[in-house]
Amino acid sequence: MPVASRDRTARVAVLGSSVRRSRNDRFPSRGRSSLVRRGVFTVLILVALGLLTISFRSPTTGALHDVQGYGASALRPFQVAAERVAKPFQDVYGYFTGLVNAKSENKKLKREVQEWQAIANANVAAARQSGEFKRLLHYEEGATYPNDYRAVNTTVISYPSGPFAQQVTIAAGSNAGIHVGTPIVTADGLIGRVTNVSTGTAQVTLLTDANSAVPARDVTHSVAGLIRHGQGSSLILDLVSKQLPVKKDDIVVTQGTVDRRYPDLYPYGIPIGRVQSVGTSDIASYLSIQVTPFAQFDSLDAVAALIPKHPR
Amino acid sequence: MSPFDTVKAALLLFVAAILQVSVFTQVHVLGGVPDILLVMLVSIALLRGSIVGALGGFFAGLLVDTATLGTLGLTSLVLTIAGYWIGRYGETTGRDRAHAPFTSVAVVTFLYLFGLVIVHFVLGENAPAGPVARGLFPTVAMNLLLTAPVYALVRRLLRPLDRADYATEVQLLG
Repeated sequence: MPVASRDRTARVAVLGSSVRRSRNDRFPSRGRSSLVRRGVFTVLILVALGLLTISFRSPTTGALHDVQGYGASALRPFQVAAERVAKPFQDVYGYFTGLVNAKSENKKLKREVQEWQAIANANVAAARQSGEFKRLLHYEEGATYPNDYRAVNTTVISYPSGPFAQQVTIAAGSNAGIHVGTPIVTADGLIGRVTNVSTGTAQVTLLTDANSAVPARDVTHSVAGLIRHGQGSSLILDLVSKQLPVKKDDIVVTQGTVDRRYPDLYPYGIPIGRVQSVGTSDIASYLSIQVTPFAQFDSLDAVAALIPKHPR
Repeated sequence: MSPFDTVKAALLLFVAAILQVSVFTQVHVLGGVPDILLVMLVSIALLRGSIVGALGGFFAGLLVDTATLGTLGLTSLVLTIAGYWIGRYGETTGRDRAHAPFTSVAVVTFLYLFGLVIVHFVLGENAPAGPVARGLFPTVAMNLLLTAPVYALVRRLLRPLDRADYATEVQLLG
């Protein structure tokens, strides 16, 4: 059986024999030896691992964190500029998507306004009465929201890049009085707290992050629990005993400090969400309560950091 | 690679990183998020090889981690590997292939997302493989849509090297 055609020329393929390869000085990875290429790659991987180790061990302190903070502050103007350039396009997109649901949303909102109006009227009377009772009882309490807090209004300059960490970066940092633990709200309600801060920017971990947990209270039935992340952008009110009365449409707010020895990061009364469903099962120890947050986590823009007026 | 090319590549990656953290992360379609930075890195690595790919990946990852005040080195680690690997592909079997950018983006998107899942898992952080898997195909689709314009832009700014710059795998004698 022939292994090569008869009309072979003198040009022979030389696989397996000594080969003269062309010089490739202009192609960076070709011109240098594979040793250099592998060396560069190895060094970069080792540096990345080194940074990762240091940053993971001390995420909010240390020299590396300071350098990162300066870098973040330097990048902030570019992020704000990109955000502003993209804003008109987002608005146009939002306008057209809003038109699709405008009619049904209008009907729903009108109904909600009526409900809220009734609740607001009742609240005004209750608040007046509550103030009088507090005066009569010389009632002592900690800082209350929103009166004892000043808002540092700022904008979101980076968003969660995936399902790994639900974190955003805001364009205000320690120079505005923000520190680790500062609660962050929108006009609708609580969105999370600051978990890392530099001079000009701060990282906010959202309520939808797997590591978030906020002591909360169902104000309608005075039931305490713990707000944790649920499916997607929803939340769950956890650790609520099955005997306790929690109903659909109950309002959930932050619990605030219960024991002065263990002050809570969040003051009492920041709106979180509304109970969407309440379920129970024989094997579960607690109620399964789904909460729809008031804040729109997928379209965060303007936010406010709550700074105590009278820090202790 | 000339110093001017290096500056252009760095600028492209810088702009892509800023756009990614500030704009593209807001675009959610069926659980997927387009990644212009990854597409840009793949394009540069394909045209300029593994060393530039690795350096570009490291630089871009550092920018992302700095801008988001995230764990430094995390994104760098994954992007360095991605840039190096695609650079090698561009130097060898992927060169002069019209489908190379698209194949590279599709494969790297998949590996990048699950690479991040693995790194987060190793660090003991939240590593939800389910949502990543659900958002995988929309992300790949959006990245593929970005590939043609981004690759064309990068190719225009960083002109492909001459054919003589590429090594042949088999030299014919005679």
